[in-house]
Amino acid sequence: MIIAERKPLKEILEMISGVEKLLILGCRGCVAVCSAGGDKEVAILASALRLGRKKAGKPIEIHEDTYIRQCDPEYLEPLKEEGKKYDAVLSMACGVGVNFIAECCPGVRVMPALNTSFYGANLSSGEWAEMCAGCGACILHLTGGLCPVARCAKHLSNGPCGGSVGGRCEVDPSVPCIWQKIYERLTSLKQDQLLRKIMPMRDWRPAGHGGPRHRIREDLLP
Amino acid sequence: MDSNLQTGKIVAFCCNYTATVAPETLREAGLIPANLEFRKLPCTGRIEVPALLDAFEGGAEAVFVAGCHENECHNLSGSRRAGKRVKYTKEILEELDIDPSRVEMFFVNRAETEPIIEAVREMTRRISKLGRLHAI
Ligand code: SF4
Ligand code: SF4
Repeated sequence: MIIAERKPLKEILEMISGVEKLLILGCRGCVAVCSAGGDKEVAILASALRLGRKKAGKPIEIHEDTYIRQCDPEYLEPLKEEGKKYDAVLSMACGVGVNFIAECCPGVRVMPALNTSFYGANLSSGEWAEMCAGCGACILHLTGGLCPVARCAKHLSNGPCGGSVGGRCEVDPSVPCIWQKIYERLTSLKQDQLLRKIMPMRDWRPAGHGGPRHRIREDLLP
Repeated sequence: MDSNLQTGKIVAFCCNYTATVAPETLREAGLIPANLEFRKLPCTGRIEVPALLDAFEGGAEAVFVAGCHENECHNLSGSRRAGKRVKYTKEILEELDIDPSRVEMFFVNRAETEPIIEAVREMTRRISKLGRLHAI
């Protein structure tokens, strides 16, 4: 899922300076699951901002709402009119939600409450780690299911780099060297012959280096 | 105990098990000050961060939660959860440049009044030292 985290309160307070009537809009998708922008986080942020503004002697009127998703047009429909009742909408969705509100709701001023970080897995309650970088040309069948694009600090296709120590990455020893893990996993699966194949230079266009990505499925179009 | 309103409002969240004596009785006995607002919950595990923040927004100078000792909680992990929420509230206060010691979690013996009174005294000491958060 998409992992995000709340921006520092001071940054948000700066962003909304001058705003007197604000809608904080959460999303029940990924950001609710990673406890960054669901109903609970909307309530906490609203209370924190009210307190912060009261302390600054500039009380603010804040309304709270949470949509099922902010990345599908049907859910944003009510916001087209509702959003105009506020000086601004502070979205607690990922960046996709904020962009989509800006696209779908003309006349509504939208701002991000979160920093959208990565595609990650939930390691344990309160801990997430990046596992995929959305490169658009998946090679996990060659690497034992472990992603070197997202999880190798140097994004090597033919690792390891030679710098790992004790199975830890030389760039950040707090994370494992993913190429060491790929080696161990392929060996245990008796697929280590895959390591002898040299992966060709990658075409990074599907990863977004050729401009914004867009996908169409003719069979699903209205 | 100093019960004058100069020190400002203190809001206490207690559960049914930590606060068995009615606050009015304690107040009449002069054991807790007039500026203490008592809010009873079925279990402190029910406390949410917005309720703690809203107490400050509503004029509290200090807020505390009194729950059972972690291994004695009637609802097993209620007070432990409350402790985590108080900790997160401290982080938010810090972000807002409000002294985090204005909010505290106290783990107290069940059905004893003295630890609650001591918690009130402690918070009163803290806010007297820190000065006013809200204009009088
Ligand atoms: S190879 Fe690309 S698509 Fe596959 S997991 Fe890694 S980043 Fe994601
Ligand atoms: S130590 Fe391993 S994970 Fe780190 S950069 Fe080198 S190959 Fe990549």
